[in-house]
Amino acid sequence: MELNSRAPSGPLEKKWSNHRFSNKLVNPANRRKFSIIVVGTGLAGASASATLAEQGYQVKTFCIQDSPRRAHSIAAQGGINAAKNYQNDGDSIHRLFYDTIKGGDFRAREANVYRLAEVSNQIIDQCVAQGVPFAREYGGTLANRSFGGAQVSRTFYARGQTGQQLLLGAYGALSRQIHSGRVKMYTRREMMDVVVVDGRARGITVRNVMTGEIESHVADVVILATGGYGNVYFLSTNAMASNVTAAWRAHKRGAGFANPSFVQIHPTCIPVHGDYQSKLTLMSESLRNDGRVWVPKTKGDTRKPADIPESDRDYYLENKYPSFGNLVPRDVASRNAKEQCDYGKGVGTTGLAVYLDFADAIKRDGRDTIYKKYGNLFQMYEKITDSDPMVEPMMIYPAVHYTMGGLWVDYDLMTTIPGLFAIGECNFSDHGANRLGASALMQGLADGYFIIATSIAHYLGTHKLEKISEHADPFIDSKRWVDDRISKMLKNSVGGSAGKFTVDEIHKELGRLMWDNCGMARNKAGLEAALEELPKIRKKFWDSVYLPGTNKEINQSLERAGRVADFLEFGEIMIRDALAREESCGCHLREESQTEENEAKRDDVNFSHVSVWEHAGNEKAPVMHKEPLVFEYVTPSQRSYK
Amino acid sequence: MWFVRFLTSSIGKKLIMATSGLLLFLFLCTHVAGNATIFMSSKVFQGYANELHSHPLIVLTFSLGLLAVFLVHIVVGLYLFYQNRAVSNSRYAVCTRVVKNSFASETMPYTGLFLLAFLVVHIFGFTFSPKTVLISVTVKQLLSNFFYALFYILAFAALFIHLSHGFWSMLQTFGVNHPRYNILIARLTIIIPLFFFLVFAGVAFYFMTGLGASY
Amino acid sequence: MSSINLTLKIWRQPNSDALGAFETYLLDGIHTDMSFLEMLDVLNEKLTKEGRDPVAFDHDCREGICGMCGAVVNGVAHGPEKEVTLCQLHMRHFQSGDILVIEPFRSRAYPIKKDLLVDRSALDRIIQAGGYVSVNTGGTPDGNSLPIPSQQAELAMDAAACIGCGACVASCPNGAAMLFTSAKISQLALLPQGQVERKTRALAMVAQMDEEGFGNCTNARECEAVCPKGISIRNIARMNKEFLRAVLAEG
Repeated sequence: MELNSRAPSGPLEKKWSNHRFSNKLVNPANRRKFSIIVVGTGLAGASASATLAEQGYQVKTFCIQDSPRRAHSIAAQGGINAAKNYQNDGDSIHRLFYDTIKGGDFRAREANVYRLAEVSNQIIDQCVAQGVPFAREYGGTLANRSFGGAQVSRTFYARGQTGQQLLLGAYGALSRQIHSGRVKMYTRREMMDVVVVDGRARGITVRNVMTGEIESHVADVVILATGGYGNVYFLSTNAMASNVTAAWRAHKRGAGFANPSFVQIHPTCIPVHGDYQSKLTLMSESLRNDGRVWVPKTKGDTRKPADIPESDRDYYLENKYPSFGNLVPRDVASRNAKEQCDYGKGVGTTGLAVYLDFADAIKRDGRDTIYKKYGNLFQMYEKITDSDPMVEPMMIYPAVHYTMGGLWVDYDLMTTIPGLFAIGECNFSDHGANRLGASALMQGLADGYFIIATSIAHYLGTHKLEKISEHADPFIDSKRWVDDRISKMLKNSVGGSAGKFTVDEIHKELGRLMWDNCGMARNKAGLEAALEELPKIRKKFWDSVYLPGTNKEINQSLERAGRVADFLEFGEIMIRDALAREESCGCHLREESQTEENEAKRDDVNFSHVSVWEHAGNEKAPVMHKEPLVFEYVTPSQRSYK
Repeated sequence: MWFVRFLTSSIGKKLIMATSGLLLFLFLCTHVAGNATIFMSSKVFQGYANELHSHPLIVLTFSLGLLAVFLVHIVVGLYLFYQNRAVSNSRYAVCTRVVKNSFASETMPYTGLFLLAFLVVHIFGFTFSPKTVLISVTVKQLLSNFFYALFYILAFAALFIHLSHGFWSMLQTFGVNHPRYNILIARLTIIIPLFFFLVFAGVAFYFMTGLGASY
Repeated sequence: MSSINLTLKIWRQPNSDALGAFETYLLDGIHTDMSFLEMLDVLNEKLTKEGRDPVAFDHDCREGICGMCGAVVNGVAHGPEKEVTLCQLHMRHFQSGDILVIEPFRSRAYPIKKDLLVDRSALDRIIQAGGYVSVNTGGTPDGNSLPIPSQQAELAMDAAACIGCGACVASCPNGAAMLFTSAKISQLALLPQGQVERKTRALAMVAQMDEEGFGNCTNARECEAVCPKGISIRNIARMNKEFLRAVLAEG
């Protein structure tokens, strides 16, 4: 597997414009001759579909839900970063670039991150022009807030629904192209395979989840915008349908998968409360601006929080990190919460939660001020937990939120399969080992609106593509393979459900294994044990999963089974990747790699690289390749929040 | 043709209902003013009636206009009623209305049809009454009949219900909905129909109970 | 944490062409901290274990923002709690022994695909008819070149909060999609960006709405009452005005 990042040379500020100039173009009159498949309609997919269609290409867009507007980008709450420096507080493109690369713990490509910071400003202009109702100052200018511990106010927001509003903007642009006929929209389709012809991605195989029909779609280029794989843990803040299938199938067809073990765990989520729980709900990180995190000083203290006197409380973040206190980055906050709970100091019925207390803030600023700031979040919390944060401290616990790993892409966002591109959370992206708050929306839209079109033009301009029909052998083979796999999954169900397992039971088992051994903190022994355990769960799935119904109808159990089957395979490269990365960096702590103060210790000498996994065939161990990371403009430094 | 498109669109039909409703409401305002003279004395009332009928051209124009407005309101209303029934007929096994006091809005077509029946009786009773008899006498004669008057009072109750949704609904359709004025509108939606009811039904009550025996 | 026992009467319909019917299920030991969809998950696990066909229902984000879930519970879209979607409705709002009648969103414009799962693509087509500002990517002016009063932006945001779940249609006695359509028309009519296409947008979206077979509005206000995002019928008033202005000028 050859890993050529194609990162342009020249000074940092000139790289993107030089690259755009050196990339080939497609004449506007010729664009309609090319067809492009886009899978996924989140921020990245919807914006890419709309942009490419506006430029004149024939676009076919696919989504798994009933409408492109439902993609999980819609659930992003906080905001979107841009280096506008509207607040005159010293922000700049270079600062956003630096913050992003430093936040990512120096595990991202400099050129990519700089480009991201550069186009961030255009994104805001674009969204405003579309009618996204961003929050405004009284004078009518755009409002900003500081987010996720950033030193400048660069986050644009629309109440707590920024993701929704940005997605609806992109969905509007996509809808306009659907109306004009330049985008053909296929809803309720799940991508099952990438079809590679003569070494190039030329189409996809999808399953129509309404009818069970397997369809082939041909194009000149395939773009995946299929999001992250957080649901490998079963419980995460991701939507129920978020999955790894599309990315995983691309991987099995030859696309390298980069840094699969880089998973972000968000510190402020509502804790798990029972075995039946289907998903975790995120509470905005902004709560930590005023809330104080604490646990009882002694193990197993079951008193009510109000009955625990100040002297018996451990404000562990404030004590450990006096200068950042409760505002330490996500990974530090998450890790410490888990640590306290592992000591047995956790609170709540499960012991898997810590308090986030607003009592002092209410005393200081008054009830009204605090309620005005967080009222909607408090209501949401109360709706779910039946407890009022104005009276009782909130309980929070970390949850899987975002995956920095993904399909490896070069500077043009092309995977190692020529003609197959990956954008948004689906690629291994610009966030390195850790993503800053309000940067996911920025990256999705940057890829979709402003980057991918250049790459597509260059690819189409430099390659001669033969006409191909959906009846060609590779398409037929792919269809047959998909059909066989579904039949294989359904075969256990003959003869009833007795003694068999449901999909969710197996998914939960996988989730527990991954959370316990490949979560925030990992160690060699645990990872090796998980690597032993995983094939057993996989076997259990293929031997005894029970799926009611047939393939030729709406069958939601079958849909889930397909996704879990892929998670079961994918989990293995996650564990292997975590095992190979013997350093602590970004979001995860490798327990063997700690400083004397028990903080994460990065190892730049041995691990300043992207690990890229190559599928070597079923039943064979995957092969790891490295893309070295070279830092010309920043000097990697150890993060310190003491 | 834009007008046809307007007429056939859902909002167009709504606007026609609201506009014709507004005109009928204005008509009711003049009618209620005329009726109020009954309470003064039979002379004043007869004087008002005589003055009105001394301008036959105006009366004829207004009557025809009114007829047209009524027809539009009734025909479009019935058409909407029919269309909506086709969509909504017993869709759910359990049907719950979340909005409280939805009686008026649910019964609009029925109160409307009842008013239509009333209208027929009313026109035959008064508009086409023998010209030789003074109108003030006709009023007394007809409304002294207990059941006739009761029917009138019921019709005015129906009018009250019809307007207690219709008045607000008309303004909403015209786009009048502003948090600052919504409370005022909500009050007017009760006060105005109540006023109509008191005056109109008051007349019937006046004669029915014999209070107006010496009229 | 306490638990309750429920009787569920759920609409089962294998596909669009089949006749549907209610089936009754008894479900014991439902934790009151569960969401309504988690309760359905428990039912489905139980049905699967028994070798029976689980209930199909749409759902995705389970945090009340994607707009995918929804059903009519005892005659009320998204259930008895105000301003929540079905996924955010928790079982603590029910009593042990309750009988819950669960039906799909019904409307002429929403064909039932299976059980509680319906096809709401008509709503997408309304947006496709004009629910956007026609700007291409790139070449847009600086975000701050267009000052917008904060209150105006907030009003637009009130309308823009619509999640497209379609409960307004399901609860409307006439199956009208006025609240959905008006939310988008309102949002863009309130913002300066939407002015250029203001009239054509109102005409096109209303025409599409009518074509899809949605009913007429009789101002019954049920839509507003069940809307999980509290979208006000003030938006419908605004749409009526927009439509009137548009039709008089260029209809």
